[in-house]
Amino acid sequence: MTLLMHASQINGLPVVTVQGGEDVAEVRDVIYSPEAGHLVGLTLNKRGFLSGRRREVLPVEAIHAIGRDAVMVADESSLVLPEDAPDDVAHPGPDRNVVGDDVLTVGGVSLGTVRDLALLVGSAGEVVGYEIEKAGGGRGYIPLPAQLAVSGSALVVPDITEEFVRDDLVGLGAAVDDFRARLGLR
Amino acid sequence: MTDSFRQAAGRKLISRTSAQDLGTVAHLLVDAQRRQIAAVVVGRGKKARLVDWSQISGFGPDAVMVGDEGALRPPADDRERLAADGKLEILGQRALTELGNAMGTVDDVTFDTGTGALVHLRVGDREIPAAAMLGSGSYAVVLADHGEPVT
Repeated sequence: MTLLMHASQINGLPVVTVQGGEDVAEVRDVIYSPEAGHLVGLTLNKRGFLSGRRREVLPVEAIHAIGRDAVMVADESSLVLPEDAPDDVAHPGPDRNVVGDDVLTVGGVSLGTVRDLALLVGSAGEVVGYEIEKAGGGRGYIPLPAQLAVSGSALVVPDITEEFVRDDLVGLGAAVDDFRARLGLR
Repeated sequence: MTDSFRQAAGRKLISRTSAQDLGTVAHLLVDAQRRQIAAVVVGRGKKARLVDWSQISGFGPDAVMVGDEGALRPPADDRERLAADGKLEILGQRALTELGNAMGTVDDVTFDTGTGALVHLRVGDREIPAAAMLGSGSYAVVLADHGEPVT
C-alpha cells in the first residue's frame, strides 16, 4: 500500500514501536536529500507536553513504515545517536531545505516556489513531488524526476514538468508515473 | 470455551482453599508476542496485584479461581507497574497497523478460558485474528497490515 503525504504532515507524528506499542519519540523534522529525491531520516522530539529535542535521529533505513497516524519502528534501538548515524542524517547539508526555492524549467520558465514536499510513504519515503505556490498565484503540485539540480535557492526541472502541474495530491499521484514514463525513467 | 475481556472485567477472584473473595478483575495483561494472557490484574492503583495466568485453576463465567491468596503478587518490573496503573489496558486502546495507520480502538478481545490464548480482537466492526497482533503497549496495539483500504 502506498500513500502520498506532505512532509509537513509527518512533523509531530508519534514514533511508535511495532513490538512494544510504545510512543518513544515524535517527529521534529524531515531530513531530505533534494539531489537524491529521497528522505534520508527524521529528527526527533521527546514525547509529551513541553518536551524538548531528542539527540537521537532516525535514519530512513531504520523506519519500518510511515503512515497517516504514526511513524513505525521495530523497537527503540532504531533511534540512533548522530555519531552512530550515516553522515547525511547526522550532518544534513545546508541546501536540503528547498521550501521557498524557485522552481525553474530547463527552458527558463518559473513554475513557482516550493511550499512543501509530497512524499510517497508506506515503507518507502520517496519524494515524488513538490507542492508549489504557482507563479500566477494559487497552489499546485509538480512531479519530480528521480534526481534534479538544486542550488539552495532554485531547482531546475525538465520542461515537460509544466504539463504535469496538478491541483491536489491525488492528481499528483496519478501524474508521477506518466511524467516519469515521458522522461524515460520507467 | 471462549470468553471476552469486556465480560471478564469486574469478575470476582476467589480462593479455592478458603473460598475467600480476593478482589475483582480490573483488566487482563496481554503478552502480544505470544498472543496470550500473561496475567490478571486485580484491583487498581497502589493496591493492584497480579495473578500469573499459570496460577489460575479455573476462569469461569462467575468467578476466577486461584489456589489461595499467595497467587497474588505485586508488580515485578516496569511493564508490570504500568499494567498495575492501568496504562497497558488493551480495551479502549488505539489500534495502529504496522504501516502507521489508525484503525480505531480495541473494543473487545476474546480468549480461550482453558489456555489463555487470544482468539480475536474486535476493532470497530472488524474481527481481527489475534495472530495479527504484533505488539501491545501504553500507546497502541500494533496489528499486521492486511492491505487495509486507504481512506
